[in-house]
Amino acid sequence: MTGASDEILLDVENVSLSFGGVRAITDVSFDIRRGEIRAIIGPNGAGKTSMLNVINGFYHPQEGRITYRGRTRARMKPHEAARQGVARTFQNVALFKGMTTLDNIMTGRSLRMKRGLFWQALRHGPALAEEIEHRRVCEEIIDFLEIEHIRRTPVGALPYGLQKRVELGRALAMEPELLLLDEPMAGMNLEEKEDMSRFIVEAKLQRGMTVALIEHDIGVVMDLSDRVLVLEYGRRIADDVPDVVKADPKVIDAYLGVGH
Amino acid sequence: MFYREAGQYKTTYAADMAIFPIRQDRWGLALILFVAFVVIPTFGGPFLLNTMMIPFLVLSLAAIGLNLLTGYTGLLSLGTGAFMGVGAYACYKLATWFPQVNILVWIVASGFVSAAVGVLFGLPSLRIKGFYLAVATLAAQFFLQWGFARAPWLVNYNDSGAIEVPRATLFGVPVTGPSATPVTRYLVVLTLVSIMAWLASNIVHGRIGRIWMAVRDMDIAAQLIGIRLLNAKLLAFAVSSFTVGVAGALMVFLWLGAAEPEAFNINLSFEILFIIIIGGLGSIVGAFFGATIMHLMPIALRALPAMIGLPIEAARVEQLTFMITGILIIVVLIAEPHGLARLWQTAKQKLRVWPFPY
Repeated sequence: MTGASDEILLDVENVSLSFGGVRAITDVSFDIRRGEIRAIIGPNGAGKTSMLNVINGFYHPQEGRITYRGRTRARMKPHEAARQGVARTFQNVALFKGMTTLDNIMTGRSLRMKRGLFWQALRHGPALAEEIEHRRVCEEIIDFLEIEHIRRTPVGALPYGLQKRVELGRALAMEPELLLLDEPMAGMNLEEKEDMSRFIVEAKLQRGMTVALIEHDIGVVMDLSDRVLVLEYGRRIADDVPDVVKADPKVIDAYLGVGH
Repeated sequence: MFYREAGQYKTTYAADMAIFPIRQDRWGLALILFVAFVVIPTFGGPFLLNTMMIPFLVLSLAAIGLNLLTGYTGLLSLGTGAFMGVGAYACYKLATWFPQVNILVWIVASGFVSAAVGVLFGLPSLRIKGFYLAVATLAAQFFLQWGFARAPWLVNYNDSGAIEVPRATLFGVPVTGPSATPVTRYLVVLTLVSIMAWLASNIVHGRIGRIWMAVRDMDIAAQLIGIRLLNAKLLAFAVSSFTVGVAGALMVFLWLGAAEPEAFNINLSFEILFIIIIGGLGSIVGAFFGATIMHLMPIALRALPAMIGLPIEAARVEQLTFMITGILIIVVLIAEPHGLARLWQTAKQKLRVWPFPY
């Protein structure tokens, strides 16, 4: 994949995170360049999800610095990360189950909608105009993700693959600069994986988003990503373009096991 | 057969986003409003208005208020009765301080006092959830009720210790106090309840409603898309308590005419909670369904033996009513945990495709 610039969007330096005595991440550094698809891979328990949680403010690392858009940040709350253009999907889908697909995606627009309680209560004039404007954007996303038929279905009733798609839609609706995807293709069949890969590539190419994704399907990772970070037991063991990472003996050992 | 949306094409998002997108629903609503505003006041006697319709509307409004908090935002509250009390006492104080100002202004203004108190007691909601929050609101219930009884200032030091509603007029027509006719009071309550139900429905269909539901369904994901939980929850407490407070003011000023602190006890809180559970959590129309079951049905049951000529003592009728109401509540909850509003939705869906449900 091409399209990445040299501008560094997110820089993670020497981050360490532990919970009590358990070290989840040990001294990991890497960067994400604007416009690239950055994969994070590694065996179970390698600290991949913890790393995403650090990036969007769910966890606060004990050591290390994170610089986002050139600003080194102090402790940040998840809603502040959202305001600065970081969106996220979860490994186990975290949708609003009682709401329809359309409402879920519209909720992703909340930050961009400004009208207050007064106009909302009247549902006329500016509030209605705003609602319509954002509905149009959401309908484009619904078109893009090919989920028109489930627009009015409560997402709790949808199959897993579609829920993943709606969750991506909600993240896209935020129009983030940095999109964090935690196993977007887990539990999908080949066709669904192909669809999802297409959406991710188009999010990058057409919508200019930078993507960081965790994925276990090595084939997908090698095809999609510009650069791959490999973690094992919370440490960085490799960080390079897919072809180099694929041939790295340490990575092969981590995945296939090594004789001691 | 007559309930079909075939042929009603939406060409704009505005039409598609209307709260009643189907034409038949709009006619139905117009019919209900016509009956409520024209037929009932014209032909209804004092019993229908005083004992049935005014309490029904007031309880529905309180239930809408609680539903914004519990049904939409997922914050369980057992303090509804006390917040209604805050609205009632605030309205009484304001109306006696400034009797020259229109009483409707004070009824609405008392909602703001109740909203402020609601926000205060909603502050713990950021830290505690579920049953623990319910206990915190229970504390609000007992604390406020204790306050009503202990502060004679609230009732202007009168001897009875109760709110005695002063006489107020609207365009020269008495609307509160003993000289107000049932029809006038009914129309004032109906107008206010209709407007507030409309506003509440607008709010829950827009951005704020979606934020509340997001907080209810998955608060972590809600934070992730930039929602501040504290703001969202406190706003829910404020709007909910506002509505409940107005309902409280209406209850005393236009229904009871006088009220002691006991009127706002825990039983009232539970009654409102049962209304939204039976009517449907997270539904505005459900509040009206629930109030029908909880208030109008017992009255109908009481009237029934006399109508079919059965000689039963009044006390026994009372007990029977309790039993039947209780059984009905249990049946409704088992048959449809999402309440009557969901049954209504399902029925409409069935009707829409009848007689070819494929």
